[in-house]
Amino acid sequence: MRNFLIIGIAGGLAQILVKKLLAEYPDCNIVGIDSRYIPFFAGRDDIKTIRMKYTRNQFEKVFREYVFDAVFHLARMTHASNNYEERVSQNLIGTKRILDLSKRNKVKKIIFFSTYHVYGALHDNPMFLSEDSLPRASINHPELRDVVEMDQLATNWMWKNQNEIETIVFRPCTIIGAKIKNTMTRYLTTPYAPVCADFNPMFQFVHEEDMALICCHSLKKLPTGVYNVAGSDVIGLDRAREVLEMPSIPIPSFVLHASAKLTRAVFWRFPEYLIDYIQYSCIIDNNLLIQHLGEDIFEYRAKEALLSCKGESDESR
Amino acid sequence: MLDKLFQLKDDLYDQKIDQRIDRVFEELKNQYPTGEDAWGLNLKKAKTILKKSYPLYTKYFDVRVFHREPSAISDGRPLVIVSNHSGQIAIDAMLVSMAFVLDVHPPRILRQMVERFFTKIPFVNIWASEGGAVLGDRKNCQKLLERGESVMAFPEGVPGVAKSTKDYYQLQYFTQGFIRMALKSKVDILPVAVVGAEQIFPWVYQAKDIAKFFGIPALPLSPLYFPLPSPVDIYIGNPITLPSDLSSDAGDDEIDEHVVMIKNIIKEMIDEGLEQRRKVFGLSEDLAKKFGL
Repeated sequence: MRNFLIIGIAGGLAQILVKKLLAEYPDCNIVGIDSRYIPFFAGRDDIKTIRMKYTRNQFEKVFREYVFDAVFHLARMTHASNNYEERVSQNLIGTKRILDLSKRNKVKKIIFFSTYHVYGALHDNPMFLSEDSLPRASINHPELRDVVEMDQLATNWMWKNQNEIETIVFRPCTIIGAKIKNTMTRYLTTPYAPVCADFNPMFQFVHEEDMALICCHSLKKLPTGVYNVAGSDVIGLDRAREVLEMPSIPIPSFVLHASAKLTRAVFWRFPEYLIDYIQYSCIIDNNLLIQHLGEDIFEYRAKEALLSCKGESDESR
Repeated sequence: MLDKLFQLKDDLYDQKIDQRIDRVFEELKNQYPTGEDAWGLNLKKAKTILKKSYPLYTKYFDVRVFHREPSAISDGRPLVIVSNHSGQIAIDAMLVSMAFVLDVHPPRILRQMVERFFTKIPFVNIWASEGGAVLGDRKNCQKLLERGESVMAFPEGVPGVAKSTKDYYQLQYFTQGFIRMALKSKVDILPVAVVGAEQIFPWVYQAKDIAKFFGIPALPLSPLYFPLPSPVDIYIGNPITLPSDLSSDAGDDEIDEHVVMIKNIIKEMIDEGLEQRRKVFGLSEDLAKKFGL
C-alpha cells in the first residue's frame, strides 16, 4: 500500500491528480492538506483531508503519523497575489519546511510545482527555453523574486539531496482546463479584455488532465531533475482568443502598462508583470520531458485545451 | 521616379502577380502545413505582405537575381545565408528574403536573424515575425536549422547597415557566430552579395558619437529620408562546406580563417556586381560618381 501527501488539495489540479493516482494505485491512501476550505472528498476512507497551514507545527505531526511514498507540493501561493509577506512565508519558508520534513521522514519522492514564469517574459527571449536557461523573471519585476527564489530553493535542494531523495521540479506553461481558475485562464476567457495592439506573443498551454497525468507518471518514469512541461504546439495570443471566441480590445502596450499601474486597485486585478507575458513570448522546451514520457503523453493539443477551458466558463456563467 | 510610382499603383492590381505568389505559397505549405510556427511566422500574412511589397521588388528597386549555380541549392536543404548589409533601414534584408521566395527554387522563407532591439519595436516586431524574422540568438538559430529551415545572418550587424556614404560597399568587421552555427548544425554557408542597396539612401553621415550618447544603434544624418529607387542586384554564390573536423568550439584563430575566406568571397561578388551595375537614376557613371551615387 502506498501513501501519498498532496499539499494544496483544494485546487483544481489536485482533484484531477487524486483521480489519476487512485486509477494507477487503487489501494493507495491519500492525505490532502490545504489552508483553504476543502469542498471535496469528505467521508472517503482512502482520502483524508486536513485544513491547515503547512507552515504550522501541527503539519509535522502529519509526517509522523504517516510514512509517505511521495509528496506532491502543489501549494505555491500565486504570485498574482499582492500579499508579498504571506507569499514569502508560504512559498519560501513553507517549501523549505516541506522539503526538510520529507527528507527527515524518509519520503521517497517529492514532486514540486514551480512555473515557467521563472524565465520571465522578455523581448530578447529565444524560443524554446531549456531547463538550464537563466530564471530572469525578477529582472523587470522584483515582486517576482519569491517565485524565482522558491524555484531555485527547490532545485538546489534537489541536487544537494539527490542521493537520499528523488525530487522532480516541474516548470509547467499555462495550465488550463475546466477546473483551473488561474489568472491567465480568467484573462483568456474574459470578453473584451485588453490585448497589446503592437505585440502578439506566442503561447503554450497544457491541459489540466495532461498535467495531472504527467504528475502521476512522474512517480515511476521521471528521474530527479527539472522538467519544463508544455505541449508541442505553440499559438499566438490573438489566435488563442480567437479560438475562445473572445473579442479583445487592442491597446498599445505603453498605455496598457500605464493604465495597469493606475487602475489595478480599482478596476482591474490583472497583475502588472503579467502584461509582459501578453507582450513578449516565453516559450519553453519540452524535449527533456518527452524523452522520458514520450510525445503521446499530451492528449490535448493547444486548441482542444483552450476549448475545454471555454466549456466550463460557459457553464459557470 | 514619378513614372515608377505610377507603375507601382498599376502593379498592385496585377492578377498574374497574385497567381504567381499564390502558387509559391502553395508550395511553401508543404513545409509549413499549419501555416504558422512557434517563432510567429504566419504564411497567410506573409503572403499578404509579399503581395503588397511585390511592386517595390520588381519595379521600384527593379531587383535582378544572379545565381552562380542554381542547381547547387535546388535540393532545398537548410543553409546559413550570409550577406553584406547596407541601406540604412535594412531594405536589403527584405529584398533578399523576397528573392528567396520568388526567384529561387525551391522557395524558402529565410529566417532573418534580427538585432535584439528589433523585437521591442511596437508593430514592426509583429510584421517581422509574421514574415519569418527571428531574434538573432544562437539557440533560435540552432533550433531553426535543426528543423530544416534556412537562416539568414548579416555578420556585419548594425555597423554594416548604418554606414556613412564614404564607407559604402566597404565590408565591416564580420562576427564569427554564423560559422560556429553552421559548424554546430553541420550545414553549408551560402554567400550572398547585394549591390545597389547602399544608394537607396545616398548622402548619409552617421553621427556615431551622438548615437552612442543617446544609446541608440545609429543616427543617420541626411538631407533625404525617403528611400530612392536605386536598382538592386542580388548575387547568390555557391554553398561552402566547412571542414568536417572543425569544431564549433574551435579557437578564434581557426574560425577567423573561414570568416575571412567568406568575407573575401562576398567582397569579390560585390566588386563584380559593381562593375555590372546599372545606371543609378538614369545618370551616366561619371555623373553618378560626381553626385556621390
